[in-house]
Amino acid sequence: MIPPTAYLDALSHIDAPSNITAARQDFLGKFLQAGLPDSHQEDWRYTSLAHLERMPLHAPEAMPETLPALEDYPGALLAYSDDRLVWQDTTLPATVLSTLSDAIGSGMPAAFGSLAGNGSLTQLNAALWREGACLRVPAGERLRQPVFLRFAAAEPDAMLYPRVFIHMAVGSDAILVENFLGDPGIEYWQNPVTEIILEAGARLTHLRIIEDSKLATHTGLTAVHQASDSSYRALNLTLGGQVARHELKLTLAGAGAEARLDGVFIVEGRRSAEQHLRIVHLAPRGNSRTFYRGLADGRGRGVFDGRVEVRAHADGSDAQQSSRNLLLSPHAEIDAKPQLEIYADDVKCSHGATVGSLDEDALFYLRSRGIDSETARRLLLEAFVGEALGLLDDTGLRDWMMPRLLARMPRSHSEESRP
Amino acid sequence: MLQIRNLHVAIGGKPILKGIDLTIHPGEVHAIMGPNGSGKSTLAQVLAGRDGYDITAGSVQYLERDLLPLTPEERARAGIFLAFQYPLEIPGVANVQLLRTALNGQRRSRGEAEMDAIDFLDYVKDKLALLGMDDSFLYRSVNEGFSGGEKKRNEILQMAVLEPRLAILDETDSGLDIDALHLVADGVNSLRRPQRAIILVTHYQRLLNFIVPHQVHVLAGGRIVRSGGRELALELEAKGYAWLSEEISDAADFMETYL
Ligand SMILES: Nc1ncnc2c1ncn2[C@@H]1O[C@H](COP(=O)(O)OP(=O)(O)OP(=O)(O)O)[C@@H](O)[C@H]1O
Ligand SMILES: [Mg+2]
Repeated sequence: MIPPTAYLDALSHIDAPSNITAARQDFLGKFLQAGLPDSHQEDWRYTSLAHLERMPLHAPEAMPETLPALEDYPGALLAYSDDRLVWQDTTLPATVLSTLSDAIGSGMPAAFGSLAGNGSLTQLNAALWREGACLRVPAGERLRQPVFLRFAAAEPDAMLYPRVFIHMAVGSDAILVENFLGDPGIEYWQNPVTEIILEAGARLTHLRIIEDSKLATHTGLTAVHQASDSSYRALNLTLGGQVARHELKLTLAGAGAEARLDGVFIVEGRRSAEQHLRIVHLAPRGNSRTFYRGLADGRGRGVFDGRVEVRAHADGSDAQQSSRNLLLSPHAEIDAKPQLEIYADDVKCSHGATVGSLDEDALFYLRSRGIDSETARRLLLEAFVGEALGLLDDTGLRDWMMPRLLARMPRSHSEESRP
Repeated sequence: MLQIRNLHVAIGGKPILKGIDLTIHPGEVHAIMGPNGSGKSTLAQVLAGRDGYDITAGSVQYLERDLLPLTPEERARAGIFLAFQYPLEIPGVANVQLLRTALNGQRRSRGEAEMDAIDFLDYVKDKLALLGMDDSFLYRSVNEGFSGGEKKRNEILQMAVLEPRLAILDETDSGLDIDALHLVADGVNSLRRPQRAIILVTHYQRLLNFIVPHQVHVLAGGRIVRSGGRELALELEAKGYAWLSEEISDAADFMETYL
């Protein structure tokens, strides 16, 4: 058990606007009562957070001395290191994009905190978040450039609680990129929460990338609320973290809302990656498409847990889920569990999940043309995950993203197969 | 250029090829015919280096070297090309990507400079025209959604791009309409060179009107039971395999009794 003093100490480090201090104490109390989720809870049965108990976790102390090296971000950028804003490069007005503390300083954004729910880790984030971002796109406005939020970890054993609030007003349109990463070789725990509200007809394209260090723990939540005819398109890439878990709670609350949720996860070594999707169709004629691809090498472990509920009165809904996965080693493991619960009429639903291995016939076909086995394997793996990457073309982010993704593709094993 | 001696191949303990002897010289075209299940594709796949076959006896020499220890890519780089009886679909890999990666892999292994995208496009467009294929085939995923005949043409396109020394065409004529058959035959004929050899696996002597072979072999029950000239194919077409069945069963009896 992490001593409560670690959390209380973290709370005392926060110079929060006084209006939320009481609320933070309340959230922390609830978290301390519930404790860390454990594997007895249905949604957590694949995950073990026991290692967190053994770490000397603490709120980051020193202000980072050096700025992290920032690669090119083709858009507006807010860069955080250890939960503090260290760099910004944006020409958007502060009423549109600002730090969360600035936004709250000039009045609590409406509906802030209303979507995240009451999971114990979410309450911990609500209690201890220190800095974050707030994006509010005014009605009818379309942001021409993507907004990048970069959350980096630099201090070993830090507990980090990035918090993001996105409000897309009626008919607005934006591209958001959230990028979580950390110094290679350090252990830390990143527990972010992002809330996204889409008003009627609003459109958000959201690229979320977990590139945390190979020793890090990432437990993230994205909660999305969609009004009528809004569109949410997401690509969730899990490329890092020793233990990486992403939960996506999405509610199609207004008629005709549409969500397209793509994802790719890659695990090797002893890494694990879990995707938990909770999609609720509340209103008629909603459309949700889930399309995930997973690769597991070494002793890697992947989980795709997708649940779609089509509630009463959500007639004419259309929900499709596809999860396809490849095991690249005999010790790798992937559990794919799509679920549908339907309580409405005239609903089109389908789900498919496969866990297989690389197609040996295709591999031979390529090699018989003179392509070496390493290249042939790479071509097939890139083609496999490529099917889930259409969003990169639609956002113009392919050139920015692909080198990072390709760097994480599993390498071939040393034992060459000879005929 | 190719010497197959007493080749025995089994799959999962079951003998499929039971002593193949075949010698092919540069510039020659050999046709292999034979009933379904007789082992023609097995022979072709073994030559291309496919895994999962047990070579239980025999040897294969190709251009003065032992072929069997080589990986499939090493064989391809040494000039062997197999047009598959059932070409694979590879979603997400564009045809042009396969062709260029393959050609450049082979060029690199020969110490030649790689071809850049623009030069490659010029190069491949001539080959496409030769086979009556339009550019759109380059950008589609390999064989995905291709018709049966288009897949076969695509195999010959790959052959035309890679310019192999020894091409093995496994029933490339099956499923082609008459115009496509002409195109494929023209494509193959245009690649005939004094130093290049071709093995045609086929069920139809019709193809041999267009690509005239030096020799025709009949493979039955895992053995070459008859070899002859062009006229052997005509005779087979007229009489079927039944007239050979005496020899086939004689051969089987002989093997069983004496080996
Ligand atoms: N992987 C395998 N496992 C078991 N048996 C196999 C396998 N591959 C081929 N065979 C068997 O080997 C025999 C020869 O097959 P092969 O494909 O070489 O025949 P073929 O002469 O090419 O026939 P066709 O004219 O129908 O193409 C067949 O009896 C086939 O069932
Ligand atoms: Mg065959």
